[in-house]
Amino acid sequence: MKKIYFILIASFTFITVSAQQDFAKHLGEARTAYAAGKLDDSRFAMQQALQELDILIGKEVIKVLPTKMLDENARIERDNVTGASGFFGVLIHREYGIDVKKLPADSIYSKTVSLEIISNSPLIGTLNALLSLPFMGNNPDQKIIKVSGYKALVQKVSGDDEKKEFELQLPLTNALVTLKAPGHTQDELIKMANTLPIGEIAKLIQ
Amino acid sequence: MKSFQIAVCIGIAVCCYSASQAQGFLKKMKEKAESVANKVVDKKVDDAVNEKTGGNNNSGNNNGSPNSGPGGGNAPKYGKPSNKGGQGLVNTAPDVKENLNSAETAFKGTSYGEARYNIQQAMLGVELQIGQNILKSLPKTVAGINVDTAQDQVTSTGWGWAGLTIQRVYVTGEKQFTLTIANNALWMQAVNMYLANGGYQQSTGGQQNWKQTKVKGYRAVIEYNESSGYKLSIPLGQTSLLMFEGINFASEQEMMSAANQIDIDGIKTSLGEK
Repeated sequence: MKKIYFILIASFTFITVSAQQDFAKHLGEARTAYAAGKLDDSRFAMQQALQELDILIGKEVIKVLPTKMLDENARIERDNVTGASGFFGVLIHREYGIDVKKLPADSIYSKTVSLEIISNSPLIGTLNALLSLPFMGNNPDQKIIKVSGYKALVQKVSGDDEKKEFELQLPLTNALVTLKAPGHTQDELIKMANTLPIGEIAKLIQ
Repeated sequence: MKSFQIAVCIGIAVCCYSASQAQGFLKKMKEKAESVANKVVDKKVDDAVNEKTGGNNNSGNNNGSPNSGPGGGNAPKYGKPSNKGGQGLVNTAPDVKENLNSAETAFKGTSYGEARYNIQQAMLGVELQIGQNILKSLPKTVAGINVDTAQDQVTSTGWGWAGLTIQRVYVTGEKQFTLTIANNALWMQAVNMYLANGGYQQSTGGQQNWKQTKVKGYRAVIEYNESSGYKLSIPLGQTSLLMFEGINFASEQEMMSAANQIDIDGIKTSLGEK
């Protein structure tokens, strides 16, 4: 187990250092192209640098995420930062709980908690508008709560009355935090959300 | 007898003329009276309002209401005063070199968010320069219509899906030719694929308002709308779209010859499209 952690930490460090080097390279290219009057080449290099930065920011966000939510441990081997900056946004992904593959074959519900943060996505702005509408959150399956002072929407996504599944969405300007906890109650989901350092995340991605 | 008949006719004619003259005169009198009455009423109302609000020549208003501000004599009693002028904003494009240096410093200090902001600013600066360079390369007149540089526009959002937009307007009297370039927008790929496909034709009631065409060897789509005129869309490379709009152009040929006056290859090169 220790070996696995060591390998993961080593590869994480390697990727971060590599991203830093790439950023410096793209910045240099942007400067050279701009000085030579090749404006489009300069812009392209800047876009590449921006992409590297977004990946680095995503990795910084991963660092501040809790390693445990209620009784569910983080599965850091599944951590992932990917995406297209400025379009769909950069997706930061973390999972908590039991691996779906290790669940009994007759298990109906996955207990895996997934946390996804989409940053720098222009498509997110609309959710902010939705959260400010007064008619939202007027039924038991959908309510607006506050997590670390930020408004969030908790809603039922599937399941019948006994086995409802909820998700929490929290918009941060051009970013969106989504927490899904199948097999957990609405209250448990809210408790989990309250363990997230939203303030720190907001500071990093904005 | 004959002379009597002539006299009667003249008499009748004079009477008719006099009656019509009298009617015109009465109408003028009525209008004049109404105008004078309105002026008097308006003056009375203005005086009454000024007396109440302390406007114009009255100096008794010291209550700090919006009317008491400079030039606020005739301002509405409620609401904020309207702006009477100002020099506006200084036209400043982000300094590319400075922002790149700032990005590097922020990056070294692991302030990635700040580095990101600076890179975005540098990108805005470069995009605005690309836009200005393209505007400079465009002709001063197209199809005899003069450029209106006051309407030149370069807009950059910094978002990949919206990209850079450049607009130039030529206008003389009722005739207008507008050139719009959308560049570096990711959604443009889909639009370009659709427009350059060539597999769509339209005809409604025998009137064709949408068809494929070519401008300087580039595949394009020309449209006609009764109220907005002609529109010619030319996909350029992977992520750019060139669009011409012509209002009050006599024919498709006239629109096409106007479009042919634009250096499309030059625009494509400036945008870095292949």
